[in-house]
Amino acid sequence: MENAIEVKELTKFYGSLLAVDHVNFEVKGKEIFGLLGPNGAGKTTTVRMICGMLRPTSGTAVVAGYDVSQKPQEAKRRIGLVPDISNLFGELSAKVNLEFMGKLYGLDKKTRRERIDQVLELFQLKERQNDLVKYYSKGMHRRLTIAAALLHRPEILVMDEPTSGLDAQTARLVREIIIDLNKEGRTILLTTHQIDEADRLAQRVGIIDRGRLITLNTPEQIKNTTEGMRALEIKILNGVDQQRWIPIISEAEGVDKVFLAEGKIRILSKDLAETIPTVVNLVDKHGGKIENISVVQPTLEDAFINLTGKSIREEPMSKEEYLQQRLPRSGLR
Amino acid sequence: MKPLTSLMHSIWIAENDLRQSFKSMRHVVWSLLFPIFMLFTFGFRYDSTGSDVQSILIPGIVAMTAMFGSTNETMSIVWDKSMGVFDRILAAPVSSTSIIVGKTLAGAVMGVISAIVLLIIGSALFGVSFTNISAVLLIILLASFSFTGIGTIISGLASEPREAMMLSNLLRFPMMFFGGVFFLPESMPQPLPYVAKAMPLTYATEALRTIQTGGNISIILIDALVLLVYTVGTILLGSQMLMKIMTR
Repeated sequence: MENAIEVKELTKFYGSLLAVDHVNFEVKGKEIFGLLGPNGAGKTTTVRMICGMLRPTSGTAVVAGYDVSQKPQEAKRRIGLVPDISNLFGELSAKVNLEFMGKLYGLDKKTRRERIDQVLELFQLKERQNDLVKYYSKGMHRRLTIAAALLHRPEILVMDEPTSGLDAQTARLVREIIIDLNKEGRTILLTTHQIDEADRLAQRVGIIDRGRLITLNTPEQIKNTTEGMRALEIKILNGVDQQRWIPIISEAEGVDKVFLAEGKIRILSKDLAETIPTVVNLVDKHGGKIENISVVQPTLEDAFINLTGKSIREEPMSKEEYLQQRLPRSGLR
Repeated sequence: MKPLTSLMHSIWIAENDLRQSFKSMRHVVWSLLFPIFMLFTFGFRYDSTGSDVQSILIPGIVAMTAMFGSTNETMSIVWDKSMGVFDRILAAPVSSTSIIVGKTLAGAVMGVISAIVLLIIGSALFGVSFTNISAVLLIILLASFSFTGIGTIISGLASEPREAMMLSNLLRFPMMFFGGVFFLPESMPQPLPYVAKAMPLTYATEALRTIQTGGNISIILIDALVLLVYTVGTILLGSQMLMKIMTR
């Protein structure tokens, strides 16, 4: 299989709100493809159109050679969807949930039983298979959601924010599962708003913002789009809120972008030789002391900021973005 | 998709829905405890005033129970939507028609089961015995389907559970009071008898009452026909609304 998923000019309007704007990309067979973007960027809407749960306003999505609008059942049979929220039937046990899903995907009784045993074993849920799912922990929910998506052995796995809301340990486990599934030969399309996740897992990344695909390449190539820009990381002492320094430093000459990343101030500049002394003097002038300063390689986040002009994690959502994020989940849409 | 596969999908969806409902107290409370409470409250009052519990109240309460059971079950679509579990079915290779048929089937079965439970409780408490049980069951089935249709319309209109509850109560409570459950429509002041004529519950209670009192069969047939028309009309309208949302 050359391309597992082909998305051409995919567009979705919710009333007058343009949620996905003529998006084009291909997911190659057996690759991990990451769709990266902030909340409300149009990732979930795109995924829902690919999975045949939402009709595009225009454009096409082809899954394993089947046009999703023309042959939705054929396309759906080849996809395993792991949604962003664990949507299992809480009043039922894990085993009954999986039984039901197996039936819907057309597995006969014998195959169903065998596969259910296998996935419960694989995701270490065997001992709790008869417990009601509503009593499961978040991590168990996540594992069971992935198990349910794998039951019919799909060639393509679509994972919407697979580690969102999970503790670090469970998130690590889920990432390991994703890598293992890919090694087994499954194509994986994952959406994420976590840059490090896309960087770590995806072989190719598409950056989506306000419904538009801004760039598509390997994480390394995307990082190179910073075009000679270098990154500087500083931490200022005196217990002062680091955020307070952002507007101050952004005024300095030679500074292109300033933002907070993991508690440190990150500065993007084309000319660090000039920028470093300027920033040091500026901080000193405003009564701050630099605890740590280092020149670092540009990351995917730097590239994202360079491309979109904003941070993926800090910008509050606009009303349109809020609506865009809510709409795909607010009903049967 | 083959018709048999589609039918099996519907049956599995209905089975899954009913399995959840029986495990959830919410459904038990609304579909059974509420009618039982009404039966106790009005049953003993009717007894003390000398009114006819057997021929007026029990048939009315049984029909009302079918209404609560069916609409509650069908409205689970709205809960499923809000919890995201509906997406699980939408992502599966199942046709929209199978989903709607499955949900409708679950609603009708819940209506019939709830009504039968109330029939048994009513018989045990007040010594009611229906002479023509197959006719009673047929009316309960028809009524349950028509109330399921109303449930699908509500599910198509409501975007979240609170809205569904509000809409359903806006429809069910007037039906409960004007649909002949506790008082005969002809004893109500004008224009309420006309209001009652617009409600499917009125025809269900009238049919059950007529069966119970051994009345004119043509009344039962007309009531059954009206319920059938209601069933077809509401299910068609509700399905169209759900289909429109599902294929958006």
